[in-house]
Amino acid sequence: MSSLYRASKTVRSRRIPFNLFSDYYIPRKFDSTPYLNSYLCWTQCAFFGSHFREDPSIDLSQYPPDKIRNFSIIAHVDHGKSTLADRLLELTGTIRKGHGQPQYLDKLQVERERGITVKAQTATMFHQHNFLGTDTKFLLNLIDTPGHVDFNYEVSRSLAACQGVLLVVDAAQGVQAQTVANFYLAFEANLTIIPIINKIDQPTADPDRVKEQLKSIFDLDPNEALLTSAKTGQGLELVLPAVIERIPPPPGDSSSPLRMLLLDSYYDEYKGVICHVAVVDGALRKGEKISSAATGQSYEVLDVGIMHPELTQTGVLLTGQVGYVVSGMRSTKEARVGDTLYHTRSTVKPLPGFKPVKHMVFAGLYPADGSDFEALSHAIERLTCNDASVSVTKESSTALGLGSDVVSWACSIWMFSINGLNSKVHIQNPAMLPSNPKQRVTACWEPTVIATIIIPSEYVGSIITLCSERRGEQLEYSFIDSQRALMKYRLPLREIVVDFYNELKSITSGYASFDYEEADYQASDLVKLDILLNGQPVDAMATIVHRLKAQRVGRELVEKLKKFIDRQMFEITIQAAIGSKVIARETISAMRKNVLAKCYGGDVTRKRKLLEKQKEGKKRMKRVGSVDIPQEAFHELLKGS
Amino acid sequence: MLLKSTFVPLFTAIPARGHPGKLSVSSVRNAVAQRCPPTSRQNGSSNTTSLLLLHKLPPTSAYIHLPFCRKRCHYCDFPIIALGSSSSNPGDDKDDPRILNYLETLCREIKATKLDSSNRPPLETVFFGGGTPSLVPPRLVSSVLDALSYKFGVCSNAEISMEMDPGTFGEGKLKELMNLGVNRVSLGVQAFQEELLKACGRAHGVREVYEAVKIVKSCGVENWSMDLISSLPHQNLSIWEQSLQLTIQAQPTHVSVYDLQVEQETKFGVLYSPGEFPLPSENQSAEFYRVASRMLRDAGYDHYEISSYCKSGYRCKHNSIYWKNKPFYAFGLGSASYVDGVRFSRPRRLKEYMDYVQNLENGLTNCSEDDIFDAKDLAMDVIMLSLRTADGLDLKSFKEAFGDSHILSICEVYRPHVESGHVICLDGQGRTIAVNEFLSSFSNEFWRNEKLAYLRLSDPDGFLLSNELISLAFSAMAP
Repeated sequence: MSSLYRASKTVRSRRIPFNLFSDYYIPRKFDSTPYLNSYLCWTQCAFFGSHFREDPSIDLSQYPPDKIRNFSIIAHVDHGKSTLADRLLELTGTIRKGHGQPQYLDKLQVERERGITVKAQTATMFHQHNFLGTDTKFLLNLIDTPGHVDFNYEVSRSLAACQGVLLVVDAAQGVQAQTVANFYLAFEANLTIIPIINKIDQPTADPDRVKEQLKSIFDLDPNEALLTSAKTGQGLELVLPAVIERIPPPPGDSSSPLRMLLLDSYYDEYKGVICHVAVVDGALRKGEKISSAATGQSYEVLDVGIMHPELTQTGVLLTGQVGYVVSGMRSTKEARVGDTLYHTRSTVKPLPGFKPVKHMVFAGLYPADGSDFEALSHAIERLTCNDASVSVTKESSTALGLGSDVVSWACSIWMFSINGLNSKVHIQNPAMLPSNPKQRVTACWEPTVIATIIIPSEYVGSIITLCSERRGEQLEYSFIDSQRALMKYRLPLREIVVDFYNELKSITSGYASFDYEEADYQASDLVKLDILLNGQPVDAMATIVHRLKAQRVGRELVEKLKKFIDRQMFEITIQAAIGSKVIARETISAMRKNVLAKCYGGDVTRKRKLLEKQKEGKKRMKRVGSVDIPQEAFHELLKGS
Repeated sequence: MLLKSTFVPLFTAIPARGHPGKLSVSSVRNAVAQRCPPTSRQNGSSNTTSLLLLHKLPPTSAYIHLPFCRKRCHYCDFPIIALGSSSSNPGDDKDDPRILNYLETLCREIKATKLDSSNRPPLETVFFGGGTPSLVPPRLVSSVLDALSYKFGVCSNAEISMEMDPGTFGEGKLKELMNLGVNRVSLGVQAFQEELLKACGRAHGVREVYEAVKIVKSCGVENWSMDLISSLPHQNLSIWEQSLQLTIQAQPTHVSVYDLQVEQETKFGVLYSPGEFPLPSENQSAEFYRVASRMLRDAGYDHYEISSYCKSGYRCKHNSIYWKNKPFYAFGLGSASYVDGVRFSRPRRLKEYMDYVQNLENGLTNCSEDDIFDAKDLAMDVIMLSLRTADGLDLKSFKEAFGDSHILSICEVYRPHVESGHVICLDGQGRTIAVNEFLSSFSNEFWRNEKLAYLRLSDPDGFLLSNELISLAFSAMAP
């Protein structure tokens, strides 16, 4: 759901010329606060404008690994991460203070319209600091992470290039669900964690309570926490010194052959694919030949530099440094995030890299009008060209003709063991489940997530009810302070995909914070629920539900469909069925009358137009057997199933 | 029946100027003009002119819009001019200046109409519609007929129809009109119940209805239609059956049954939503339609068009022109003509219409030679209009004009509806082809050519769903 939202945002902004494309998305399930900040858009503007800057004053050879710090800022949404990042960039002179923030925001709008995917970005800063008695100039790489729950995957991606993080917590709100989630990501990656209690200028700020939470939840030393207000500037002078003194330099070996980690990539229409890389060992120079450990493909380094914060050519990247490489890759698909790049003809052990992108969410996309398929296909290609975490497969549905699936973060939602087949099969589309009675499903598993929910204690009861309705299993229930409870649940992914976050928010008047991570598959009593129109199953409407919920869901779907399908020339029966057993049924009686009484000479044109409109209306509908189904019926089914 | 100042143009004296070796429009015109039928048979007349050229022929029909009404009916969205109660007195000798001025402009419009000088076939049908044409003094009607005769000529046996409302004419007036040549009366009865007439804002009551029928009969109008509206507010099945019964007793030669269309800009449009109380439900009004079809057929009427019934030989020739996609002139406020393949609607506002006529006289308006001809549009018009009739779509002429591939695709989309009985296939003799034969053979081109001659909608089920079926045929034409 999360990436769906992301994808849909991108798609909408691209003004793809058919409504369906934006409309058909499952409505976003989580509130979204764009985590992009002004500095981010700053760098993006630079990239997209292709203003590749040269700055002769920058000599990267002056920054061996011990003069480099790579860090990231992690925080719950709205705890002040963006403003803090801006201030640090200003403090180091990387961007000019107060210069053009609103202007950048305007540009952000433009960039959004161009369809930039919301992604992690990095910026390089230079900072003078008295370190161990000598005044030393340091190279600091701020690697941005998304703060939103939807972008968990990218957080861990960014952290792989860091040795430390700033954990920002709002002094009034205290620790929230994403604070917890992000803390564990950093903790598991063995990163140095610098707690920052931000927004201490607020009247409701209670830094001592937050310190207690840091101690009790994360076992962090409260004395290590920095108190700041990114808004007023209070305490900011302590941040970079702490980064330099507490975070270790990158561990690489400058004398080893080149190994660099591919952090991210995006497509620039002038330069082609631009890769963000972290040089782990050795050095990279313009003109060299590099190869990909994943694909074996080699490329020539056409350009190399740092993000300062625009792309700034340096001709070289040395051990521990983070920057960009332009290498003539044609599509971001060649740039596998987490891949190791090395000098062609050298032999290196690939870096551990990342877990491969695991698809978690799907969107089936199809054009309203089959003739738009090529346009849709083209549009999706452009979309995915910019984002390696989205993958696309084409499929066809008997109901909808040739369609296309944008699959994001996810691969298979359900796993089935089917009698007659030797192995378990992964099912991502309910219609793929065999209907052949000989191939009976013998066992099913569904993916689950571990959800972390932090709520004011008075809402505990209603949250327990919500989670058990959603087939949740409680794993943990504790109080993080006198007013706040932390609950962990294992929930079927399917149950949180639809409307869970909204409901959570509404039950708790918006006070709940929520995060989740993927977990194992668990055995589950799942059934395929078919929707049949006049006895003919509609692939796109099939769904997989828990047996206990089948009756209710079937009833709801059938009633909804009845509302959205107009009377037609024949009677229509709508059925929900599990296998051959019908569990819900509605009938739409045949249309009785649709006739224009008079047709005089003067009426001819008007009536023709009316009938043509009627014809066009039919064309926009999907035909299953003899039944015309309006688009809204599909939308409605997806909303609530 | 003598036409006053009949002018029959000497078309035979005009030399045919067709281009040798090429079937030009003008040669067709001449050919047709010369066999101007003294008694035109409308039923199943063999039509040898291609559908592609039909609309290029010179029109032989004219619609005249006389927009005056005493007051506006609640369902009406026509361009009318409400006169108020002052003119409801049929004995009033002094002509209303609004009527005088309008008719003067109307006649100017007729005179200013440009004609192809080579060919002027006389008019075979004239239709005075409204409005309430019977409010116009016969003397002024006569001036219109004079103008038409002078300009186009009017066949001596032309069908001249006039819409008349109960309470707007007496025996004297009707006699006068008949003397002018009016030979068909379309009587706007609408309902036989006082409450219903009141509810739809009619300016007459039930008593006037019976009087009007008596006048029409006593004057010896042989060809007359009774017009009814079904699905009026508060109408129920027994009321409707009563109206039909009384209609049959009145023995008109023609009956028009219009299902109420709730138009947005009308009082009904403000008050009611179709299918919701006090309007009958969709099921009820479908039932009204079936009942009308059954009762009128049982009483010897032929259901020859969706909303038209007649005794044998009394089809409305003028309306048939519309349904055969033939060309026609139109004159007057908001009226629509179809000349040289162009459908043109005149302004619906009086002032704009006056300006239009002025421009026409000054040669500033050119509403005819706008030659954007699209065969597919034409084909769709032909489908829409012919499927409204019991004759149905003549596949032979359709194929000649537009090709066999369209017929095959129409057969394909109609397949389930032939099965369900909404669409009926007929052979060249008008006999119904068995459903099974159609299903097994329609994809065979030879069979289509040899056997399949007409497609029609069934009565009443197909007619009732004509919008669905016609738009389906459209989708077969332009997928």
